[in-house]
Amino acid sequence: MKKVLSLMLVLALTFSLCACGGKEETPAATNEGETEAPAADAEGGDDAAEPAASGDKIRVCIVYTGNLGDKSYNDSCNIGATKAVEDFGIELKSLEGTTAQEWEANLVAACEEGYDLIIGASSNIADYIVEHGPNYPDVKFAVIDTTVDLPNVQSVSFAQNQGSFLAGAAAAMFTEKTDIDGVNEEAIIGWVGGMDIPVLHDFYTGYEQGAKYINPDITILQAFAGTWTDPLKGKELTLAQIEQGADIVMNVASGTGPGILEGAKEAGVYAIGVDLDQDNDQPGTVLTSMVKRVDNACYLLIESVVNGTFQGGTTSYLTLAEGGVSLTDFSVIKEYLGDKFPQDIVDKCAELEQKIISGEIVVENYEGFGPEQ
Amino acid sequence: MGLMENLGKIFNVSLIYATFRASTPIIYAALCAAITQQANILNIGTEGIMLVGAFTAVAVSYTTGSWFLGVIVAMLAGAAIAMIMAVGHIKYNSEICAIGMGINLFAIAITKFLLNTLFHTNGTFSDPKIIPIPRVQLPFLENIPFLNQLFNNWCFTEWFVILFIIILQFLFYKTVWGLRLRAVGQFPMAAETAGIRVNAVKYQAMLISGLIGGLAGAHLSLGYSAQFVENMTNSRGFMGVAAMYFGGANPVLTAVGCLLFGFSDSVGARLQAYGFPAQFVLMMPYLVTVLVLAISMAIKLGAERKRESSLVTGDTH
Repeated sequence: MKKVLSLMLVLALTFSLCACGGKEETPAATNEGETEAPAADAEGGDDAAEPAASGDKIRVCIVYTGNLGDKSYNDSCNIGATKAVEDFGIELKSLEGTTAQEWEANLVAACEEGYDLIIGASSNIADYIVEHGPNYPDVKFAVIDTTVDLPNVQSVSFAQNQGSFLAGAAAAMFTEKTDIDGVNEEAIIGWVGGMDIPVLHDFYTGYEQGAKYINPDITILQAFAGTWTDPLKGKELTLAQIEQGADIVMNVASGTGPGILEGAKEAGVYAIGVDLDQDNDQPGTVLTSMVKRVDNACYLLIESVVNGTFQGGTTSYLTLAEGGVSLTDFSVIKEYLGDKFPQDIVDKCAELEQKIISGEIVVENYEGFGPEQ
Repeated sequence: MGLMENLGKIFNVSLIYATFRASTPIIYAALCAAITQQANILNIGTEGIMLVGAFTAVAVSYTTGSWFLGVIVAMLAGAAIAMIMAVGHIKYNSEICAIGMGINLFAIAITKFLLNTLFHTNGTFSDPKIIPIPRVQLPFLENIPFLNQLFNNWCFTEWFVILFIIILQFLFYKTVWGLRLRAVGQFPMAAETAGIRVNAVKYQAMLISGLIGGLAGAHLSLGYSAQFVENMTNSRGFMGVAAMYFGGANPVLTAVGCLLFGFSDSVGARLQAYGFPAQFVLMMPYLVTVLVLAISMAIKLGAERKRESSLVTGDTH
């Protein structure tokens, strides 16, 4: 009896581990389980550079560092990928994971599977691509949000510092609008990030510069939750910043973010969304969102493989000018604030945007980020 | 970076409630582990029971529009999961840690799966139709600045946990059932000889533990927030088990352990804003866990030595 039970336990364990691995986006019609990878090798000889050998579907795998459903970064990436499935009829596999071990295991599993393109969805995965990429020279890799300098890796990164500059400027102006409910006298704004990684410092650098451009004496509270998947931790950090005087808090935290927005709503103050348009996530609380077009990046990467224009070793840098980053149009909060809505913030942001695009304002980068690196 | 002049902003009245707010889910989890520990069963599945409870609470609150029903069904769901563990452990005598870990992994998978099939969403499920556990307003405090800030606007389950600690303390140490429970935990053979049905008591302990675990989850998803997120327990169940060890399964001491975690977490959240490195601050709750466990074990060991030596000297009292 004990033996049977332990066997069942092992089975349950395996099952749940598999389930953790992520959900399949498309029915794996041609999949034959574990025999599939070697079979592909045998029949195709080798899939060196040519995509789509004789009518086979192009197979793309995206390795996420977190879960889908974050209503933020990962979902944005998935939107682009889903669009690519509709437009090009590719086969898509999405691997989710919450810990570094899972990310690495997912990446290696994807490498072994022989996909035409493997996309590392965030900079968290970059180190593992650097480590394992050279072992699979025939596999095309792409990484979003950072740069990996390998001949078979194409990188797309964003000028999140420019978008954050506008967000910081908007927050600094907003915290002065004491006639709006919940806005206090003090010039204090907040910023809560997910994991303490370089990309987030690039966000923060822009946010700080933008806020100080408006008010050099402003206080900016900064915190990291240390995770992309714990909204309650995010909420606690947000409430702590609010209790310390912040009346608007920007979140850059993927799945930790919903808690940050919820914390701001509960305390009756305001928040700034990130990556996707989050204005409707807690309507009336979110002033604006700093949208990062991860969906475009993902779509373009897949398109390049479909069209055969994929170029390893290159980096594209999407800025404010190209629409890679932008603020939303404040329309949701406008409805809620009515005649108290500060139109001057929108106008000033538009003006600052032009100044950044024209080069009149140069937004600083965190070390290692920027156009020509 | 201005830490000294900002000390007042870190250690102020709101820190007290913040500590309690961050501790409450862990206290529930710790009580869930404490009751089984009294019967000498290490409920490592607390985390999984909580997660299932959190999901059920949100699902029921969303579909029925009643937070109360959500909490009740979450408790029942927690009890169901605990009974699976109980049957495996008590009837079939399998290792409780293995079952517990299995339950934890199963809970992550099943909630993810149900989130997908029932609500057609991934990751996060939040909706205005999820009715949270109400907050308690005490009108007579509204004009007293200090107490108003301190005690008003608590979540209902945050008040309840205080009552609950007292109830369990009474149950364990002042009732016949509590005595039997502890007898079963400390010396099952003696308990059996005394006519106590050992397995029945163990089942009862697991059942109540499941109910508490479900409540812990419901508080997490309906009280602490109003949403369900995959794996939203994020090791709070394990921290509860650690706190239970710290308190030696005594409800009051266990709660003190939880408050220690909550305090280090809340202070950390405030310190970060003033330029303390995030890596260090985020380590604090875990550092405290290790420290607290080491200290409590040392004290326990010391007490045991003392007791042994008094036995040897033939102390007849």
